[in-house]
Order: sequence, then C-alpha cells, then structure tokens
Amino acid sequence: MQIQILYTMNKIFAILTILLLTGCSIGGEKKVKIFSVEKPRENLNYPMPTPLQMEEIFWHIITSKNAEEVFKKLEEAGIDPVLFGITDKDFQVLARNFAQIRQKLQETNNLLQEYKKYYEGENNGKM
Amino acid sequence: MFTQIKMIITLIMVMGLAGAGVYVMKLRADNATLKANQVKLETAITEQTKVLEQQKKDFDAIMESNKKLNVLINTFKKDLQDLDKRFTKKNRDIGKLALQRTKSIERIVNKGGKNAARCIELASGADHTEAELKATLKSQINPECPALANPNFVHYE
Repeated sequence: MQIQILYTMNKIFAILTILLLTGCSIGGEKKVKIFSVEKPRENLNYPMPTPLQMEEIFWHIITSKNAEEVFKKLEEAGIDPVLFGITDKDFQVLARNFAQIRQKLQETNNLLQEYKKYYEGENNGKM
Repeated sequence: MFTQIKMIITLIMVMGLAGAGVYVMKLRADNATLKANQVKLETAITEQTKVLEQQKKDFDAIMESNKKLNVLINTFKKDLQDLDKRFTKKNRDIGKLALQRTKSIERIVNKGGKNAARCIELASGADHTEAELKATLKSQINPECPALANPNFVHYE
C-alpha cells in the first residue's frame, strides 16, 4: 500500500516537475508585430512669390528739332536738364530684351505652379 | 510468441495512427500557408493595380503639363515676332517716324512702356483686372502680351 502511494507520489512529482520546467513556454513568446505605416511627405507650402509692382517711367523723344524745347521744359519743371538716351535701334533691342525677361519670368512662374500642382495636388497649385 | 506479434501489431497501429496524425497536421499547415500566400498575392495584385493607376494618372498629368508649357513657349515666340513686326512692319523706321511725328511717337512709346510694365506684373503672378479679362477687341487688349494679359481675346485680322 505504501509503495503504491510512493509510486503515485512519484508520478505526481514527475508531472509537477515537467510542468514547472515547461510552464513558461506554454503558449510560447508573443511575437513582435512590426507595422509599416506610409506617411506622405509634408508639403513645402511656400507661398507663391509676390507679384511685382512696376513704377511708371516717362520716355522723352528728342530729335535735333525739339531738343531745346525738351530741355527747356525739364528746367521749367525743376528737373535736371539731362537725359540718358538710346537710339531708335537700341530702343528696339531694349523692348525685345524686356519682352524676353518677362517671358522668362512667366515661364519660371508657370513651371513653379506646375511643379506645385504635380507634387502637392491641384489645390496647392493655385496662386 | 503470440505476445510479440501483438506488440508488433500494436506498434504498427500506433505508428500508423501517429503517421496519419502527422500527415494531417502537415496538410493543415500547407493549407494555412497556401491560404496566406493567396491573401498576399491578392493584396499584391491590388497594390500593383493601384500603382499602375497612379502611374497612368502621373503620366497624363506630365503630358498635360508638357502640352501647356509647349503652348506657352509657342506663344512667347509669337509675341516676340509681333514685337519685331511692330517696329519693322511695311519697312517702318521708328527713328524716321519719330522725326516726323515726335509727339505721337512719344505717346505711343509711353503707352507701350506702360503696357510692357503691366505684362511684367502679370508674368510675376499679379491678378488680372476685370477689363483685362473682358477684353475681346484689339482696341481693348494689351498688345505687348495679349496671350498673357487678355486670356479671352481670340486673335483676328
């Protein structure tokens, strides 16, 4: 009878020992889950450049005939009787140069808008 | 002898059952793997479709943008040609004209300068005035840069 009890006790002890040794691994370690969330890049959101405000200038046309009259008028108006002149041909060149500068400005502004629209969406492309 | 045969048969049965169990487990594992693969493939196909759609959208946007810029550059060429024409049309010599009609040319040059300055303002991003937007006649437009200043003006002879 005593041997039987000892035998049962041994069994229980063996089972408990096994449980004690393997208890922590029941169910296993929890796996670490890694999420990758795609976050869009922040918009640069620079405001569009402020439009230029041009100041008005007056062009005097001086010929050999009216030169005296023009200088007299300048003196009467209290303006120094001195003019910075260009020839008719140079005036054409100046007009062309200004047109090219304006076109470059427009092209650059347009490119900027298109880039903004492409990378930041339709709403941000507006000026 | 009989006991040994019984043991062998029992062992074979136990091993057979264990083998069947392991095989079923393997089939289950394979099934789970295949299911997971299927889900991944479906997700990949959806993602690929999205990527392709986005690529198409991007391509269309790039094409449209290129078209716009080409139109703009052609407008620039025309504007410069028009400017040259204004100085040289019908063998016009602005110097001689200025000698003959000094005051008129001075007025025209100053008006042209004012218009050109307005063109620069618009090119730098200034808003159009209502008059600029409504202009449809040659007498109403800014002849220095009609395409830029008067978007509703249609060129006519």
